[in-house]
Amino acid sequence: MSNINGKVYALNAITPMKPWKTWILRAVFFVLGHVKPLQNDLINLSFIEFARWVIVPRRAFPCLGKGQLPEELKYDYLLFFSNFNGTWNQYIDAFSAVLSKGLNLVWRWSEKFPGSVPVTLFKEYIARVQFDTDYYYTAYPQATANDLKSAHIVQSSFDSLSAIATQSSPEQFAAAYLQFVLEVQAHLGETGEAPAVG
Amino acid sequence: MPNQNGSVYGLTILSPIIDDDRATPSHDLQIRAYLAQLSTREDSPFAVAPGTHLARLVVMDDVIYVGMPSCEEHLKSKYLVFESNCDGDLDTYLAGLADSIPKHLDAIWSHCVGYPTRGAADRDAFIAYMKSCQLETTFYFAAVNDKSVPATLRALQIQTAVADFIAAHQGDDPVTLQRDFIHFAAQLKTLPPPPAGSMGPHRTIKTGGHNE
Repeated sequence: MSNINGKVYALNAITPMKPWKTWILRAVFFVLGHVKPLQNDLINLSFIEFARWVIVPRRAFPCLGKGQLPEELKYDYLLFFSNFNGTWNQYIDAFSAVLSKGLNLVWRWSEKFPGSVPVTLFKEYIARVQFDTDYYYTAYPQATANDLKSAHIVQSSFDSLSAIATQSSPEQFAAAYLQFVLEVQAHLGETGEAPAVG
Repeated sequence: MPNQNGSVYGLTILSPIIDDDRATPSHDLQIRAYLAQLSTREDSPFAVAPGTHLARLVVMDDVIYVGMPSCEEHLKSKYLVFESNCDGDLDTYLAGLADSIPKHLDAIWSHCVGYPTRGAADRDAFIAYMKSCQLETTFYFAAVNDKSVPATLRALQIQTAVADFIAAHQGDDPVTLQRDFIHFAAQLKTLPPPPAGSMGPHRTIKTGGHNE
């Protein structure tokens, strides 16, 4: 069992919600999904590779018959799965500091949610509703979300330079190469094992 | 569609685990034992099968009670959660899993209620089963949502190689620079893409230290 693979941490959380409140949350997510500027803080946090929220209505847990008893629940549940870089503490601290309003909007409909500020109570809540990952795979454990974005920028510039490399004079190429280096120099950070945190 | 973000698909599956008093160890423990010995690197089943960016498998024992005044309640079944961030179309992805890693799928999901008798060998039944356990994602975020797994691995490979090339060619004259770059670009094209799940070539860490 491990919540960590390379540079990624898998967070799972489940919180109960009164069923009438889930409709409000659905509306919140609908707006968040359709008004892209509202996602800017989430994008700018820049250490989340993938994240999702899933509302499971109390009667919608998969029931396949064959001896399986249907669930009899009073609450709907909000599942949260995140794949982020860095440590648990860094993630929750940043979430609380940067996204406090957004988080409150999402989780205030869950039972006993204390608010995302102050962070101590918020961390206690997340720790209580979190459950551990049994198996965690990533295709690129050596890379962070920023590494991925940078790698695509480098590749795009590299492809452009490659396309003109054989058709230009050495002087023209040298000028293009200099421009290429200027474009990619901020995106050449090394990937690989994460530095030890201690 | 909330399951999709750009070209990336957010698959969420909750498969009820068989509750059988006579099974020793219980089915949830058998799943956990199997997952514990699975590789998470190049020889991971998800590295062998196409299209998985990140995936997790979690045995969810119960819901969580957050304390008074909320009500305490419990699930009647344990669930196997499969959360995958994968390329493109769901049917193609599930078919890819069934074709590439049927033994692993059977070893894991045969402990779940309603899993097809013939397992993943019956590809259509497998896909139908997985879909019957699927939950719709309400909100899905992907930092990079327009690149496939092979494209991403290729970009990381190029990034590393370009960094080395630039470091090695500082101050070269234009003729040498152009000649070496053309050779480098041609050589890079012939390199096989790096394997999924790999930590990449070993590189000495030049930074590090306390709380870096």
